[in-house]
Amino acid sequence: MKKFTSEMVDDYAAKLLFSLTAEENKMVLDEFDVVDKNIDIINEIEGLSEIEPMTHTLDDFAFQLRADEATVSIPVQEALRNAAKTEGREIEIPKAVD
Amino acid sequence: MLEKSITEIHEALKSGSTTSKELIIESIKKSHEVQDKYNAFVTICDEAKETEVTEELVSGIPFGVKDNYSTKDVLTTGSSNALKNYVPIYTATVVENLFNKGAVMVNKTVLDEFAMGGTGTTGHTGAVLNPWDRTRMCAGSSAGSACAVASGVYPYALGSDTGDSIRKPAAYCGIVGYKPTYGMLSRYGLFPFASSLDHAGVLTRSVEDAAIVVDAMKGIDSNDMTSWDSSEIKLSSSLTDSVQNKKLFYIKELCDINNYTNPSEELKTHLKNFHDTLNLCRDLGMEVCEESVDQKILNAIDSVYTVISCAEATSNLSNLTGIIFGPRSDAQNVQDMMREHRTKGFSPLIKRRLVIGSYVLQSENQDRYFRNAQKLRRLIVNIMKDFFAKYDGLILPVGDGPAPLINDANDKLDLKMSALNSHLDIGNFGGFPSITIPNGFVNGLPVGINITGNCYKDANVLSIAYSLESKMSFKGQIAKERM
Repeated sequence: MKKFTSEMVDDYAAKLLFSLTAEENKMVLDEFDVVDKNIDIINEIEGLSEIEPMTHTLDDFAFQLRADEATVSIPVQEALRNAAKTEGREIEIPKAVD
Repeated sequence: MLEKSITEIHEALKSGSTTSKELIIESIKKSHEVQDKYNAFVTICDEAKETEVTEELVSGIPFGVKDNYSTKDVLTTGSSNALKNYVPIYTATVVENLFNKGAVMVNKTVLDEFAMGGTGTTGHTGAVLNPWDRTRMCAGSSAGSACAVASGVYPYALGSDTGDSIRKPAAYCGIVGYKPTYGMLSRYGLFPFASSLDHAGVLTRSVEDAAIVVDAMKGIDSNDMTSWDSSEIKLSSSLTDSVQNKKLFYIKELCDINNYTNPSEELKTHLKNFHDTLNLCRDLGMEVCEESVDQKILNAIDSVYTVISCAEATSNLSNLTGIIFGPRSDAQNVQDMMREHRTKGFSPLIKRRLVIGSYVLQSENQDRYFRNAQKLRRLIVNIMKDFFAKYDGLILPVGDGPAPLINDANDKLDLKMSALNSHLDIGNFGGFPSITIPNGFVNGLPVGINITGNCYKDANVLSIAYSLESKMSFKGQIAKERM
């Protein structure tokens, strides 16, 4: 496994669409170091490999899917209310394709 | 009047000795006073109007809402610059349920940004100060709600709890914080942080009020497929102080002072106070036993929480682009617009959590981090369920003492962090009902005790807390600022 480096932190941040200062970058690495050390401890726990990962909070979780029926939806103008720029029924953004 | 319980206020409303209008005016006035002193609110609803008083206990009575619950036409920021101008077009189900019963929202309370912190100091409007001592934190993330309830602005406020975000602020502010079993309360309209850990809940000044409010909020919701039908459960009418023969356990490794190297005087007093409270449980006829859990597992709780919550948050916050909602940047292309919005909008705490979440989800890292965290989560939950087969509840002290100084606040992970400060996460891992009640003072500051039980056993957990509360003198207490 590759060590988590400062360059990787910046790369992840770029993919997450934000930038980090040098100080923020260091904070990520410091915090991650703690996680990493604890994961080492976790890996020493006997029998962990046999355990099924927990993905739902409740053991008896069951999907309660709604009936596939049309219901009243949000009016378009309401849905657009928080967008800074709109045109008609759409949100306006800078041209993305030349 | 607002310092009284919900039942007392309801009786006053019914008798005509006060009116809903008077209560709303009083609560808004108090909100402004508390804002000036402690910075608890993002928004105060000066235009809030009285409602008709009906048989519903919450009718006509003011309450507060944490600012990560969507409220139609009322600014809802998640205490983040990324949503500082966001006005929802719908209302969260649990808030709507209260509105339908005549409750009146008078303010939106400050939280740690997107509910991700534990100090109450990272909201975009600044730190919330503890009403018992302004140099101390309230804890988070439901900091504003805890501060306001403790200050007597109203009898209750909504919180949310992903790790301990209702139950620790309740302890630090000397009040009650309750999160029910996962899915009893709908999360529709609550900003998601880590969906498998997020719980809605409430902060009050008594166990009975917590039961009354959750009764009014709960119900299956077609907009939240994890909600379940709790119509057979009546929490407030199930409360009983008849708890003889209930069995509680505590974890030796967390509660034995000899397990700590160079313990502070605060920790010593806190744990002594805890053991004194256990004796009150015994006086009530409950059996209290000591159990042991592998220290390695206890020490790993915080990392399990961090890995899972960061991973889920990375996905949940990906819709924050500043294009559909939130402040839009002036950049000339979409990528740069989103990058600028997120760089300026997110605090360092959010950014580092998202980077860690993204890293642990990479296919080459998933087994070591995310899957192992999920496995340990199940192991911890299985251990607890084995205990709950023998016991009615787990009882533990909240944190390692009273509220820390604000100047010491940080949300950095720390290897030396005591498991005492992270054990409340267990309640979120298993979706267990969990309640904090005040159990005394250390150095003039409130401390709390927590009771957690098995899923769906909310009534049992509340009754244990209710009976214990009746043996102490902290029910209904209002913060008195330490000079």
